[in-house]
Amino acid sequence: MSFGKFLIKRILQGIVVVWGVVTITFALRAVSPGDPVNLIVDDAASQEFRERVREDLGLNEPIYVQYLEYLQGILVGDLGYSYQSSREVTTLVIERVPATLELAIAATVVAMIIAIPLGVISGTRRNEPADYGATLFSLVGISTPNFWLGIMLILVLGVQFGLFPTSHRPVGFVEAMRMLVTYGYVGDLLTWLHHITLPAIALGTYFTALITRLTRSGMIDELGKPYVTATEAKGLPGVLIRYKHVLRNTMIPIITVLGLQLGTLIGGAVVTEEVFSWPGLGLRLIGGIRSLDWPLIQGILIFIGVSFVLINIVVDSLYAYLNPQVTDE
Amino acid sequence: MTGANEQTVNRRQVLELTGIAAATTGLGAIAGCLDDPTGDGDIDELVITQGEFIENTDPNDHNATPYYNVFDQVYEPCFNVTRDGEIEGRVVTDWEHPEDGVVELTIRDDVVFHNGDDLTASDVAYTINRQVDAEVGFGSDQVAGMTAINGAEAEDDETVLVEHSAAESLAEYQLANFTRAVNEDWVESFDEQPITEPEMNGTGPYELEEYEAEVEAVFTRFDDYWGDEPAFERVRMNAESTSSGRVGGLQAGESDLVVNVPPTDVQTIDDEDGVYIDEEVSFRNIFLVMKNEVEPFDSQEFRQAMNYAVDNEGIISNNLGGFGEPMTQPIPEGLFGYNEDLEPYSQDQDEAESLIEDSGYAGEEITLYSMDGRYLNDSDVAETAADQIDQLDNVDCNFENVPFDTIADAAAEGPDYEEYPFFLIGWGNPTGDADYGLAPWFTSEGGQFNFSDEEIEDRILESQEENDEEEREQMLQDINADLREEAPWVFLHLEESIYGINEDLEWDPRSDESIYVDEMDQ
Repeated sequence: MSFGKFLIKRILQGIVVVWGVVTITFALRAVSPGDPVNLIVDDAASQEFRERVREDLGLNEPIYVQYLEYLQGILVGDLGYSYQSSREVTTLVIERVPATLELAIAATVVAMIIAIPLGVISGTRRNEPADYGATLFSLVGISTPNFWLGIMLILVLGVQFGLFPTSHRPVGFVEAMRMLVTYGYVGDLLTWLHHITLPAIALGTYFTALITRLTRSGMIDELGKPYVTATEAKGLPGVLIRYKHVLRNTMIPIITVLGLQLGTLIGGAVVTEEVFSWPGLGLRLIGGIRSLDWPLIQGILIFIGVSFVLINIVVDSLYAYLNPQVTDE
Repeated sequence: MTGANEQTVNRRQVLELTGIAAATTGLGAIAGCLDDPTGDGDIDELVITQGEFIENTDPNDHNATPYYNVFDQVYEPCFNVTRDGEIEGRVVTDWEHPEDGVVELTIRDDVVFHNGDDLTASDVAYTINRQVDAEVGFGSDQVAGMTAINGAEAEDDETVLVEHSAAESLAEYQLANFTRAVNEDWVESFDEQPITEPEMNGTGPYELEEYEAEVEAVFTRFDDYWGDEPAFERVRMNAESTSSGRVGGLQAGESDLVVNVPPTDVQTIDDEDGVYIDEEVSFRNIFLVMKNEVEPFDSQEFRQAMNYAVDNEGIISNNLGGFGEPMTQPIPEGLFGYNEDLEPYSQDQDEAESLIEDSGYAGEEITLYSMDGRYLNDSDVAETAADQIDQLDNVDCNFENVPFDTIADAAAEGPDYEEYPFFLIGWGNPTGDADYGLAPWFTSEGGQFNFSDEEIEDRILESQEENDEEEREQMLQDINADLREEAPWVFLHLEESIYGINEDLEWDPRSDESIYVDEMDQ
C-alpha cells in the first residue's frame, strides 16, 4: 500500500471515530435525566416561559431531528450556543485551548527535564541505590492521583510557604512573550511561570514517572547491544556513549509516546485545571457539567476527541513515512 | 578530541538551561512573595472570590446573586434595598403612584454612563422593558422576579411611568431588586443579544477594565461617578469553584474576601493571623417538599408528622456545625410578610406517630430524595432527616441521592407527580417580599407548584393586588401561619452565609448575600 493510500485510510478511519464521538455525546445528552429547560430558566419562571424557551431551543423537536440538525451544524463548524452564556460554543472552546495547551506542554517539559536524566541514571546504574531511588520515584509518581498531588502542592508550597500562587492564570504565554519581545518586559513571563509551575508539576508527575520508566528500560536494552561494546572498545568516554549514542536510540519510542500523551494530557488536564482554577477547557467542561450545559459539554468532548484522532493520524503517518514496513502491514 | 569537545558543550548547555529554568521559577516565586497583598496592611487591589462567575456580560441575562454581585459594581440598581429590607432611592430620587397600576419614577439628572452618555428616563424604561418583554430583549430570566411589572415608558427626560398589575409595594420591591439601568443606544449597538462581548457600560462606582468570561473581571474606580467615592481604587472579582481552593486563596493572601467557607474550615481560618470569619443568616431556606396530591402526602396529619419527626435543631448543630437557623414558615425572617409569632416545629416522635395513625397511612414506606453538593451538606442533612423519620414505629423512610436535575424536574412537575414526591430543595428569597417565596410554590402558574390548595392560592393572588401596605402584610402573615399548619414542606433551616475576610477589610455581610464594594472600607 502506498503512503498516500495509507494516509487516506487513516483519515477515513478518523472521520468514523469522530462521527462515533459526536453520536455518543449526543446520545448521552438524550438519555441523561432532566429537562434542560428546568436548568436554563430561573427557578421561579412560569410554565409558559418554560414552554417558550423549550420551543426557542428546538427541544420540542423529535430527537432524530435534533440529531440531524446538530450534525448539519458540525459540518459547517457550528456547535450551537451555550445554554448558560448564550455564546457560540465554538468560541467558548477555541478561547480556552491556549490555556490547556500551555498546561499540557508545560507538564511535558517538566516531565522531560526530570524524567530523561533520571531514566538515564537509573538505566546505567542498574541495581544501584540511584536506580532504586528512581524506580521508587516512578512508582510513587504513577500511583499518585494528580488531584491529590495538586491539593498537597497548594497546601504546602502555596499556603504554608507562600512560594507559589494557588490558582488562576493572570496572563497567557503568548501575551507574556509578546511583552518580552516587543517591550523587553520580563514581568509577565515571570508571572506566567510563577502561576503555571504547580499545575504543570501536578499534571506532569504521572508522565514524568512514565517517561522515567521508558527511558530506563530503553537504556537497558540499548546498553546491551553490540554497538555499545564497539564504541567502548574505541575508547569513547562513557558519558558520551550514554548521552549521544544510547539515549538518541532510546528517544525514538519516547517521542512516539510523547506525541500520543499530549492528547492524554489535554483530556487529563480537566482535574488539574479544576484544582488550580486554571482557565482551560477542563475547567469549562466541569462548569458545563455542573450546569448541564449540554451544547458546551458536547463541543468540548468533540474537540478533545478530534484532537486525539488528529494526533494519532499525525503520529501514525510519521511512523509510516519513516518506516515503510508499516504501510505494508 | 571532537567528541570530547561536544561532550563539554552539551553538558554546559544542559546545565545552563536547567539553571535558567530554576532561576526563573525562583524569581517568580520571589515575585509572588513581594506581591503579597497582606504584607503591608493596606489593600491596593481588592480581590473577591466567589464560587461562580458570570458567563457573559449582559446584566439582564441571569437571575442569580453571585452574578448580580459582579454586575452591581458597574450597573447601578435604581433603588437601594437597605439591610433592614427598606427601599431607598438611588438612581431614582422619587417614586409615586399617580393612579392604580402605575408607578412614576423620577431619575437623577447627574448620572452618566461609563461611556459618557447621560442616563435618561428612556434608558430606565428600556431596561425594564428589556427585562419583562421578550420582544424588546431576548427573554430575560429576570422576568421571573418581575411578575408584577407589565412594562414602562419615558414621559420626559427624567420621568418613567411603570405599568404594573399588583400591589404598589410588591411592584416597588420587584423594581428595587431587579432593575439596573442599561444604556439603550449602547445595548442596541450589539448585533447579538444577550451581550457576549467583553464590555460593560453602567453608571456605577466602578468601570470594567478587564474581563475574561467565567474567570475574572477587573474594575477601576469611575471618576465621574455621581455618588461617594468608593474606598478601593481597583477591584478584582474572580471565581474558584472548590471551597478548599477559596480557603487556600484567602490563607495565601491571594483573596481578600471569599464566600461559602465550609463549617469545617471555620476554626482553621479563625486561628489564622490576618484573616477572620464573619457569617450572616441568609434568605435561603432549605426544606423537604411533600407533593400533596400524592399519597401519603395528601394527608395534612401525615405531613405534620414528618415535621414532628425531624430534629431541626439537631441537624443544624450536628450537620451544619451550628451555622443555620430553624425555619418557622415558608419564608425567612426579615421579609415583608414574615410572621413573627410562629415557632418552628420541635421534634416529638410520639406526636408524629400519633398523627400518622390519624392520617390512616400507618405502615407506609416512603423515600426521601436529595441531591449532593448543591446546598451546604445537603445530602447529609437529608439522610439524617430520613433516618429520624425511619425511627418512627409506624413508617419506613428510605433515602436516595439523585442528580440535581432530577430534583429540578420533580419540582417543576406539579403536585401530582408520583415519581419523586418527597425531596430536599432550597429557595433563595432575594426580593425582600414574601410573594417571591410564596407565589412560585403555591399558585398553579408558579414554576415550583407542588402544593395545591385553592384557598391558599386565591389568598396569595389577592395579596398581590392589595394596595394597603398594612393590610397586605397582615394577609401575608396569615397565609404563612396557615401554611405552617398545612405543612406543605418539612421546614428545615435557613442557611448561614459564611465569609472568610482579610482583617484589613471592613465589611458586614448582608442577609440577601449581596456584595457591594461601595459598602466596604479599609
